[in-house]
Amino acid sequence: METKSGGRCDHRNGVLPSCAPLARAYVPMQQSSAPQYDASDALKRGTLFPGLDLPFMNMVNMEDVSGTPLGEVMALCFVSHELQLYLDTHPKDTEAFELMKSVLNLTAEAKRRYVAKYGPLRPDDMLCSESFDWIDDPWPWMYRQRGE
Amino acid sequence: MFVYEKRLQYPVRIKNTNPALAKFIISQYGGPDGELGASLRYLSQRYAMPYPELRGLLTDIGTEELGHLEMVATIIQQLTRNMTVEEVKAAGLETYFVDHTAGVYPQFASGTPWTAATIAVKGDVITDLTEDMGAEQKARTTYDNILRLSDDPDVNNVIRFLREREVVHFQRFGEALQLATEKMDQKNVYVINPAFDR
Repeated sequence: METKSGGRCDHRNGVLPSCAPLARAYVPMQQSSAPQYDASDALKRGTLFPGLDLPFMNMVNMEDVSGTPLGEVMALCFVSHELQLYLDTHPKDTEAFELMKSVLNLTAEAKRRYVAKYGPLRPDDMLCSESFDWIDDPWPWMYRQRGE
Repeated sequence: MFVYEKRLQYPVRIKNTNPALAKFIISQYGGPDGELGASLRYLSQRYAMPYPELRGLLTDIGTEELGHLEMVATIIQQLTRNMTVEEVKAAGLETYFVDHTAGVYPQFASGTPWTAATIAVKGDVITDLTEDMGAEQKARTTYDNILRLSDDPDVNNVIRFLREREVVHFQRFGEALQLATEKMDQKNVYVINPAFDR
């Protein structure tokens, strides 16, 4: 897609049909899954994609939320979920799919580390448990100080 | 089939009890543009969708919204934990408290219980996706308003995350509408409803 000045649109812009039929709503298609935030920034900002990062009153979260074992799992799961939603509407983007697979690999490793130390995330993680620890605290809604 | 994962999508750590904030944030649990309606809207609409991209997207966003429902409930739970009757009175939360104590109940900020009348499943591809785009914008506005009202940074971090998700979902639903209409009659996309007429 060309801009008026002849350059390619940047990542904040997407592609619309040049002749768009009347009586329809249009949102431009995101052109590519790049550029991207790293996993920690993606979770903090609520999106993997800088082009979609449109905060209210330009206030953004400053606190690092991924610097714990669970935070690492959250950040990686979030990145693969963001890529999954992108791929739902861009299923032929093989580059994004390969990236999603590499993130899924990292996620599986991070989850294995977490589960070995803190207990099951899903019922089938109890294959690694010595007793029925599914019901052990903390449940996700319980208040915990940072690092607890 | 759904499998529970024992974690939140994004961490919720609210240090200070503050029932006054819970009183209006409850609307994103069971209010007119809240996460319960969002999840049920998308997970119910997907059955009529005739194209694979739309079935995938509605399943995936609907599932994420269930995770957001849990995050909003967590905000309410933490804002009301260990609250005293004096704090209930000072926050003006008596009408909620008398019916639900410190339980988490899906209702509007105004007290109306959650109702399926706030969501739509029209069984028409263009109509449902257009509804979904509107729904994401309504939820974004609600989160904007919560950010105007709340002065607790622990709460606002989570609200900003949830609000940004609405922006991303709006983009994806818009793309899905574009993909869907490309598969329809290019002279007249309204000539039939591909979710019903084969």
